[in-house]
Amino acid sequence: MEIIRNLTRRKLRNTLTISGIVIGVLALVTMGAMAEKFNALIDGGVAYFGGNIQVGAAGSSAFGGGSVLTLSTVSQVQQVNGVAAAFPEIQVDAKPGQSSGFSFGLPDYITAYDPRANDYSTVKTTFAQGRDVTSSGEVVLGSDFAVEFKKKAGDTIALPIRPPDAKADFVNHSFAVVGVLNKTQTGPDTGAFINLKDAQMLLQDSLPSAIRDRIDTTTLITGMTVYGKPGVNLDNLSDTINNQVSGVKATKPSTIVNSFKSGGAIFTAITTGAALLALIVGGLSVINTMLMAVTERVREIGLKKAVGARIGHIMREYVLEAVVIGAIGGTVGLLLGWGVTSLVNAATASANLTLFLVTWRLVIIAILFSVGLGAAAGIIPAFRASRMDPVQALRAA
Amino acid sequence: MASIELRELTKYYKQASTTVKAVDGINLTVEAGEFISIVGRSGSGKTTTLDLLGLLLRPTSGQILFDGIDTGKLRDGARAQLRGKKLGFVFQDFNLLPGLNAIQNVMLPLRYTKNGKDGKERAANLLEEVGLKDRMHHRPDQMSGGEKQRVAIARSLINRPSLVLGDEATGEVDSETSQQIVSLMRRMNREHGVTFILVTHDTDVAAQTDRVIRLKDGKVLSDVRAQTDQTFLTSIDLQGVIA
Repeated sequence: MEIIRNLTRRKLRNTLTISGIVIGVLALVTMGAMAEKFNALIDGGVAYFGGNIQVGAAGSSAFGGGSVLTLSTVSQVQQVNGVAAAFPEIQVDAKPGQSSGFSFGLPDYITAYDPRANDYSTVKTTFAQGRDVTSSGEVVLGSDFAVEFKKKAGDTIALPIRPPDAKADFVNHSFAVVGVLNKTQTGPDTGAFINLKDAQMLLQDSLPSAIRDRIDTTTLITGMTVYGKPGVNLDNLSDTINNQVSGVKATKPSTIVNSFKSGGAIFTAITTGAALLALIVGGLSVINTMLMAVTERVREIGLKKAVGARIGHIMREYVLEAVVIGAIGGTVGLLLGWGVTSLVNAATASANLTLFLVTWRLVIIAILFSVGLGAAAGIIPAFRASRMDPVQALRAA
Repeated sequence: MASIELRELTKYYKQASTTVKAVDGINLTVEAGEFISIVGRSGSGKTTTLDLLGLLLRPTSGQILFDGIDTGKLRDGARAQLRGKKLGFVFQDFNLLPGLNAIQNVMLPLRYTKNGKDGKERAANLLEEVGLKDRMHHRPDQMSGGEKQRVAIARSLINRPSLVLGDEATGEVDSETSQQIVSLMRRMNREHGVTFILVTHDTDVAAQTDRVIRLKDGKVLSDVRAQTDQTFLTSIDLQGVIA
């Protein structure tokens, strides 16, 4: 209680100091929430791509890259010793020709999906509404996809989405939304999942009209996802696939995972570094305030020493006061940060632009950091107070 | 057994190239329950003696014994503990914490002495004894000088000390209030059996004590006692004592 009374004795000064911490924690929370959102995507990517092998046409990138394979390649890969299952994949743009703008998520996509893959995948999807795709003309939407286009189970949606400047040969088809997935914070959130036959149809539609009728896409896929048997080393299995099946390129999971991790580490360092700078400035203002408080309360310190306070008692009192400043600033900054990130997320949800993710980890870091900063900032003033000569302190002007 | 003993006590300060002998070889014995004043001109060493007695300063040489314990051998933490438990202070300008009310100020020393059992009840009783039963929840800025000093006296007694040191305890109040304050301390001295040592410039205050010690240049110039417990020193006894 005495700490609160002390803080209210210099309302303006302490309010300004607390505001410094608030701004620092606000920066930490918003930048941290951005990093957390990015990290969630990275973690999801690491979990998903670390548990399977992406196989594309020889010469393609790990994520497809435009080349195609024949459907029969899937059965060849399935014959490789150590492979548990291989699922064909066709992925097309959900918004062809339209720039996706700045986004932390994957751009919206439409993909062929076999519900059986969920049994093997390390990233399990669950349904918020409805059910899985069981026949042509049906689609399951990822959570962000559903929010962006305001769809729920039972609605219909025309896929791909017609861009504002659609070309004359643009074609899309009506699909029944039979299910909406729960949020995963990663890849599936921006996806639309249809069966292979429908995906082949969309693949054909995506071809230029001049060649569209000359290519039979019913035998084509853009890649496949391969799962290994339990205990099989997936990097080694990738090499085996590349050696035994011609015309394919199996990318080692470790290669994909490492590229995700390095990107995540750099982003986290930049965002948290910027936020830490803001917090250090806040911490310096706490030191300044507490030093002024010590100067003002010299006689109080002298009295406390006269009535039996030891160095530890005085240290504790002043550090605790700085901790309370940090905790108040941290709590207000956290609440403000949570409010700001929630508002921005709500405002940008319809544009598939979810920037922030406030996690419990971030909340705990923000509180611990503001309290720790208060404690650290209080040490120098507290040390000065505790070492004060009681005789001089008692007779200070 | 003597409660306090000063043996060849000195406190020297270096000032530029000279040495100031603030206290210069004081020998004193104070019995438990005495009511003493220390008088002398400015610079005579009375405040330094009080600071040494209060364990707020370490002497240059000599000994201060509390109930036979040589306080010079104690480390700072142990001296602070002894100060909290055995000593009380009453200052000229009260030194009450402005953010705390009367009873909270009285209870302040309990925070550092782990002596807080029944602390609130004791503080309330002490405030009642000093006539502030109805002012317990008033803050210092809502009290008169006399009331503040009575709170300070209650605070000095909260840990049941054996010695209370008053540093010009009536210096900030008018003569009538000064009289009341000294009477109150005298009553506390008798009722609680606590030794009081008051540093003062005020002849009237010194005249109400049982023993007047006059210092000059850091030495004891005179040490005058009343004849009986009921007899205060007369103005004749004090002639030449107060500068």
